Amino acid sequence: MKTIIPKTWLAAGALGLVSSTMTLTTTAHADVAPAALVGPVADYKLYVLDNLEQLVSHTEDFTAAVQAGDVDKAQALYAPTRVYYERIEPIAELFADLDASIDAREDDYEKGVEDPDFTGFHRLEYALFHDNSTQGMETYALGLMDDVNDLDGRVQDLTFPPQTVVGGAAALMEEVAATKVSGEEDRYSRTDLWDFQGNVDGAREIFDLFKPLAAKEDADFVARVQDNFDDVEATLADYRLDADDPNAGFESYDKVSDADRRALTGPVTVLAEDLSTLRGVLGLN
Amino acid sequence: MTRNAELVPPSPRAMRLGLVMSFLLMLFALGVFILSLEAVRTPNDDGYRVDVTASGCEPNRLEVPAGQRTFTVVNRSDRAIEWEIVDGVMVLAERENIAPGLRQPLTATLKAGDYAMTCGLLSNPHGTLHVVAGESDAETPALSTTAFVGPLAEYRVYTTLQLRKLHRSAAELRDAIAAGDLEAAQQAYRDARRVDLHLAMPIGLFSDLDQRLNAHAADFEQRENDPAFVGFQRLAGGLFEQQSTAGLNGAAEQLVADVDTLTARLKSASIPPAQLADGSARILETWLDHHRDDDAIGQHDLADLVALTEGADKIVSLLSPLLESQSPATLHTLEANLAALQRDLQADADSSASRSAADDADLLQATRALARSLTGINPALTLEG
Repeated sequence: MKTIIPKTWLAAGALGLVSSTMTLTTTAHADVAPAALVGPVADYKLYVLDNLEQLVSHTEDFTAAVQAGDVDKAQALYAPTRVYYERIEPIAELFADLDASIDAREDDYEKGVEDPDFTGFHRLEYALFHDNSTQGMETYALGLMDDVNDLDGRVQDLTFPPQTVVGGAAALMEEVAATKVSGEEDRYSRTDLWDFQGNVDGAREIFDLFKPLAAKEDADFVARVQDNFDDVEATLADYRLDADDPNAGFESYDKVSDADRRALTGPVTVLAEDLSTLRGVLGLN
Repeated sequence: MTRNAELVPPSPRAMRLGLVMSFLLMLFALGVFILSLEAVRTPNDDGYRVDVTASGCEPNRLEVPAGQRTFTVVNRSDRAIEWEIVDGVMVLAERENIAPGLRQPLTATLKAGDYAMTCGLLSNPHGTLHVVAGESDAETPALSTTAFVGPLAEYRVYTTLQLRKLHRSAAELRDAIAAGDLEAAQQAYRDARRVDLHLAMPIGLFSDLDQRLNAHAADFEQRENDPAFVGFQRLAGGLFEQQSTAGLNGAAEQLVADVDTLTARLKSASIPPAQLADGSARILETWLDHHRDDDAIGQHDLADLVALTEGADKIVSLLSPLLESQSPATLHTLEANLAALQRDLQADADSSASRSAADDADLLQATRALARSLTGINPALTLEG
């Protein structure tokens, strides 16, 4: 879910404006043959299906730990499970009902945590990290598992709209700009960097798949985006618990210095703006 | 400024003046804000305005004509919001992170029908967007050049996943034959053959592979004894007619190698959009070609037709969104013919009675009807083969 931005994050509001004017200026004069888009779009769906398979199996373990009342284990599995959802968010959030029940945050509901419709990962996060308990969470765990299985089935049947796939790279970086840099996505678990990396992974996958086509249209654009991705990933890497083991995960977001939060803001914002032009570059507007 | 002056408290008069000034300043700011909202209504802006307040959309029901429409979403709540147009559960278009006080335009192409609008908080009531069929619907716009990217990509995903299955089953088949395990070999054969026929259309693009995988004994000079006769038909002869795995090792190895070749070729091939429909029609016609005479339709023929129909079903599901906009009548006939054939095949699967000549005639007719309506797709989409 990406509904809320902190009031201090004024650039995010501007971001939307920037991307809308950019789409106007880069009209569909690109020379990319539509047939050339088929392969990358197909490969992207295969990437999403692989991640969904992981999401399903990790959610099985995570929800089993919640149901077994194993708070420590459930806490440990929370972030590594969400990563797979964060990577494929451009597709997952096409299903409005499931995106709400799986990934909405308390801010999305009038009554906040008390709202009976507040379910999914962040409801469990609140129980696990705020209350340090799994009490009363069985229903939420079962519901999350059902929703993830439902999502898996729906995505398998979905013909991916090419515009959504290509636009997904920018959408993910806007999501990072709006909710990850501020550290509000995982406010109780402080595992924001996991989600952050998940969004970056997902955006980079899309970019990498379409890079050869985009490079023919605008090589400078491709080089710039690549540099900014590298900058973001370098900063993220400083906070890895084990440089050699990506599965070890990240430090708590509380440990991220203000200087680094600022250092991330720049490239993330530029990436979101640059990537929002990718559709136009590929003639998909 | 001197140190002394800093310590002097402001006079009550100056305080009052300051308060009044700051109040005026606030009014001014408020005025600017309201003016900025009003600006949306200027005649230059043809869009539909939706205000999102803390409790929902204003108006909560909008009616617009079909076609490309622009909406201006104004956030009048005190937190950032998103606004979406939702069709059932699918998000059609959205604007995210609209900061308080800001407005964002959104342009969407809408077909006639009822949609929901999400209005800020998820706990807020959804708005209704009623799209009425306008004059613009009278003339169907031509498909854009990118209209086939989605269906072709989805078909590529389908062939990739089916090929993975074919790899597995072909390897199982080879191993079972090598081990002399007839029952396991028969099962692996059925699994592999089903997938082979799901892929009949793309395999048909490569005549050498198609021949090695799918040719019948009758296609060869020395029929069953021809050394070039390999592939599924050759294996079926051994496994089902002679009930033996003997002498099939070579054909099984060849099958595995051919599946590898197929995978490599399909990776670099791009299937022309017209092939989706025409290719599917052609493979059904090929099946029919083998049943022109009055021979009864056997178990294997039936299983083949089931698998071919499953493959055709996938094609129909890929092209139906395009047909729905370009030629609903074509889609209607196509879906009806597909459903009729599926019903016939299901009835066969459910029935334990042996097939009659009349059953066969029905099945041939239903298959012919589906092949014909598949042939009608490309003209309806103004695609040329």
